[in-house]
Amino acid sequence: MDKINIICVDDEREVLESVSRDLEYFSDMFNIEECESAFECLQLLDELDAQQEYVAVIISDHVMPEKSGVELLTEVALDNRFLGTKKLLLTGLATQADTIKAINNAKLDNFLEKVWDPQELLQTVKELLTEFIVEKGLDYEDYIEKLDAPTLYRLIKA
Amino acid sequence: MLKKYLKYLLPILVPLLILLLPASSFGIAGMTLIEQRVIAIFVMATLCWILEPIPIYATSVLIIVLELLLVSDKGLWFTKLAPPEELGNIINHQTIMGTFASPIIMLFLGGFFLAMAATKYRLDVNLARVLLKPFGQDPKFVMLGLMMITAIFSMFMSNTATTAMMLSILTPVLALFAKKDLGRVAFALSVPVAANIGGIGTPIGTPPNAVALKYLVNENSISFGSWMAFGVPFVVVMLFIAWLLLTTLFPASIKEINLNIKGRFLKTPKAVIVYVTFVTTILLWLMGDLHGMNSYVVALIPVAVFSVFKIITKEDLKKISWDVLWLVSGGIALGVALDKSGLAANAIAAIPFADFHPLLLIVGASVLCLLMANFMSHTATANLLLPLVAALGASMQSLLPYGGEVVLILAVTFAASLGMSLPISTPPNALAYASGHIESKQMAKIGVILGIIGVLLSYAMLYILKQISFIG
Amino acid sequence: MTKIYLRYSLPVLLPLIILLLPSNSFGIEGLTFVEQRVIAIFVMAALCWVLEPIPIYATSVLIIVFELLLISDNGLWFATNSQAELQGQLLAQSTIMATFASPIIMLFLGGFFLAMAATKYRLDVNLARVLLRPFGHSPKYVMLGIMMITAVFSMFMSNTATTAMMLSILTPVLALFPKEDLGKVAFALSVPVAANIGGIATPIGTPPNAVALKYLVDEYSVSFAQWMAIGVPFVVVMLLIAWLLLNYLFPAARKEIILDIEGKFLKTPKAFLVYGTFVATILLWLLGGVHGMSSYVVAMIPVAVFSTFNIISKEDLKNISWDVLWLVSGGIALGVALDKSGLAANAVNAIPFDSFHPLLLIIGASMLCLLMANFMSNTATANLLLPLVAALGASMHSLIPYGGHVVLILAVTFSASLGMSLPVSTPPNALAYASGYIKNTQMLKVGAIIGCIGLLITFSMLFLLNQLGLVGV
Repeated sequence: MDKINIICVDDEREVLESVSRDLEYFSDMFNIEECESAFECLQLLDELDAQQEYVAVIISDHVMPEKSGVELLTEVALDNRFLGTKKLLLTGLATQADTIKAINNAKLDNFLEKVWDPQELLQTVKELLTEFIVEKGLDYEDYIEKLDAPTLYRLIKA
Repeated sequence: MLKKYLKYLLPILVPLLILLLPASSFGIAGMTLIEQRVIAIFVMATLCWILEPIPIYATSVLIIVLELLLVSDKGLWFTKLAPPEELGNIINHQTIMGTFASPIIMLFLGGFFLAMAATKYRLDVNLARVLLKPFGQDPKFVMLGLMMITAIFSMFMSNTATTAMMLSILTPVLALFAKKDLGRVAFALSVPVAANIGGIGTPIGTPPNAVALKYLVNENSISFGSWMAFGVPFVVVMLFIAWLLLTTLFPASIKEINLNIKGRFLKTPKAVIVYVTFVTTILLWLMGDLHGMNSYVVALIPVAVFSVFKIITKEDLKKISWDVLWLVSGGIALGVALDKSGLAANAIAAIPFADFHPLLLIVGASVLCLLMANFMSHTATANLLLPLVAALGASMQSLLPYGGEVVLILAVTFAASLGMSLPISTPPNALAYASGHIESKQMAKIGVILGIIGVLLSYAMLYILKQISFIG
Repeated sequence: MTKIYLRYSLPVLLPLIILLLPSNSFGIEGLTFVEQRVIAIFVMAALCWVLEPIPIYATSVLIIVFELLLISDNGLWFATNSQAELQGQLLAQSTIMATFASPIIMLFLGGFFLAMAATKYRLDVNLARVLLRPFGHSPKYVMLGIMMITAVFSMFMSNTATTAMMLSILTPVLALFPKEDLGKVAFALSVPVAANIGGIATPIGTPPNAVALKYLVDEYSVSFAQWMAIGVPFVVVMLLIAWLLLNYLFPAARKEIILDIEGKFLKTPKAFLVYGTFVATILLWLLGGVHGMSSYVVAMIPVAVFSTFNIISKEDLKNISWDVLWLVSGGIALGVALDKSGLAANAVNAIPFDSFHPLLLIIGASMLCLLMANFMSNTATANLLLPLVAALGASMHSLIPYGGHVVLILAVTFSASLGMSLPVSTPPNALAYASGYIKNTQMLKVGAIIGCIGLLITFSMLFLLNQLGLVGV
């Protein structure tokens, strides 16, 4: 089985741990990583790439010191090594201008507002994971119990 | 308007006409029905490959299907109704279908696997970075480095993929050239030129070489190592000439070039397997005579290794250029039909080729090939000419003092890769032209000069090889 | 932990041991080196397909490469230079490589082209919509409709693709069922069951059938139409039984089901060409005896037509399941090696099969196949058992009164598609299980019952056909 990572980025420790806890459901099959800044995330991406591991979803806060979430996700969107990675913005403080940039430049996949509903977060990540796995052509049967069936049925061609 | 319709009409009408003509109209004594149908299929293939009303690999599929329907033992019932002497040699359907998996196709498949793994594990980009470093920053020498690396890669990867990769490395740099700087033209042209020439160096470098292998069998067979033994020196000399030509015609005004290629060699276990398999396969290819496995079997080793270790996955399988493999299959099938129906032998016997001077034949065939290759797909050109030329070579005794069949085949094969004067000549040309840095007449000038020099050089090479008894 | 290591080490160690043992340890007289190597390759294939340390198509590639290296006329030098009598029968390199493009593969390729065009031009979804309408809204009959359509589609498309398509139509509707309604289980199970069963009806319905075709040649040959003549009635009966079973075990509490499938039949010229080619190809397949073209040649027609008119483009070519084609190739190559090395014949002679009652053989082989197919890939199961069973069938004369070689092969082939009691049994099962509407025990119950009934019906059907003189000499 290939190693697939889900990266969570937030400068507030408690929020980061809370997101991680909500994604506990995926932890036995996927690797959940926590980063406290955009720079930590970019560094992690370099390391993961050197190991040739997959990054399925990046869940990022927006307002962070030094580099914002939208800037981070925009960089990821332009990075050839992570073309298929799904991007989720989880924030309470994005202005409309930021949101527009997030969608247009960062090619955002989903947007969730803080305070988030744990069920909604779980379902969203489930769908994004399923999309990632099918699009990359990975063996969905290995992860099938954690995937979203309707999305799977919709995307499978063969 | 009419031109557009002609594109679709001719490939249908002319073959139909041929099918309906009485057997005696062809000037070949005792022509059978099967031979007549093979002529029709051949004409259809030619028209389709030249006019391109349908994708070129689709023409290959048509060739195979029409052969199955009209000249095979499992064809349409009414095609088998005539008495045997009138009907001719029916071809076994398994032979025709087998062209989809001929050992030559397997050889190419192995090459594709190697190339795919090299790209996926970034071996190509990293190698390019490392190999370019010693060439410094002087535009002249950077271009030489670029050309050499492009040529080496295109010996093992598809010319098109190599061109795309090198052009993407070049693009940011070319943007820095001044608008009037001719150096831009030189650099942009250097890549497709080097890719086209480089492909000649190995049997898997470019599909026309694969088609040639079909006819270089038994006493004429050339191993992977032997091909490289004369192919690589040829490439080196041509590359050098091309480099001099480009730097003379389009000298760069800019004084310094910095190619900044990012990345590091991957060190994961899978990456190491890729490196090792690459080296092993190439070594096995080169030392074919030592271990007894022929190149085709060796080609399947990377296929096995990469499939087993999931270096190439089920998903990656989809990225293989199956259309290129099928394009070559069609050519092989055409050759099979021409041969097994007896048409090739009969047609040659009918035309008094023995009257022509053998040298005229070699020169004529290769020039014709060069001409065609400038206007249409190299592989399609090879698919059409090589079966005819091979049949010719096999029966013309007067060729023997000049090296025989082998020399004729090689001359034509090399010529097929030297057609590069137009954007439509090869995909690498088209890619480079799309960059906007090259004008048509600049490409034409270089392409024509290199084409002519290349063909002359191939004659010289073949002459030398004959003299030292390496071939013929 | 040991389990994981076993998975990787057994397929490497056991074959190696086999290669190193002296030739007389196998109980077969005059075993040649080539035959010994074939045994090693077979064992490696079996272990790899059962334990799945590597992708199943990769095992096929390994089979072919090892055959080329160890038993072909162009293999490793130390493999080809022993004395002829000790060495045995080397295989021609081109024969082995040709398995990648055997006519059977071409037949499947044609099927893939048809399926791809059907999906690309939405023929499948539109047909489903039209065919489901007459079944009304009563859950019982809607389910029958779904099963019949799934079965028909899976005769020509891959079982997995058909399942995914039907499940995506069903899921929004199933979500509306109340939690305790057993109808959900019935519906979710009906799709994989119908897809697995439906694939049996045509030679291209499922890869095990393709593998069987390799052994149904010459005097044993079964044409496309003949196969359907046997397969379609079987499928119809099995579907009815499965439908009744599902309704009985998991009755729906809901009174009404409305499946809303959007779309219209495409009317572009290319779409018509697809419709026309589809019909023409199927007709040509069914009327094989009349026009003289073999099914394999007919299969090439959609390939040519769709390539020529760019209905299937260069890009689409990439979406073909090349791994499935290679998986079947490996099985064919295994069979070729067992046959041409002489091993199959020698092994069969060595084991006193003649003392067994032929019926016992047919039943035993089918049951073994059914068992294996429940736990591993159906195609891999067929790849392993059919060569053995074919060699057996060819030499056992006591089988002839029961229908001979053909009956044995068909029984085992049908069994290979009837293994559906676990999520791992087939991809359609896994997909349906992922919906969350089915419990393991429920799938097990249905799968086991259908498997056993399927076997019984297969035997009775083959018996009947033999009595009528339609099958077997």
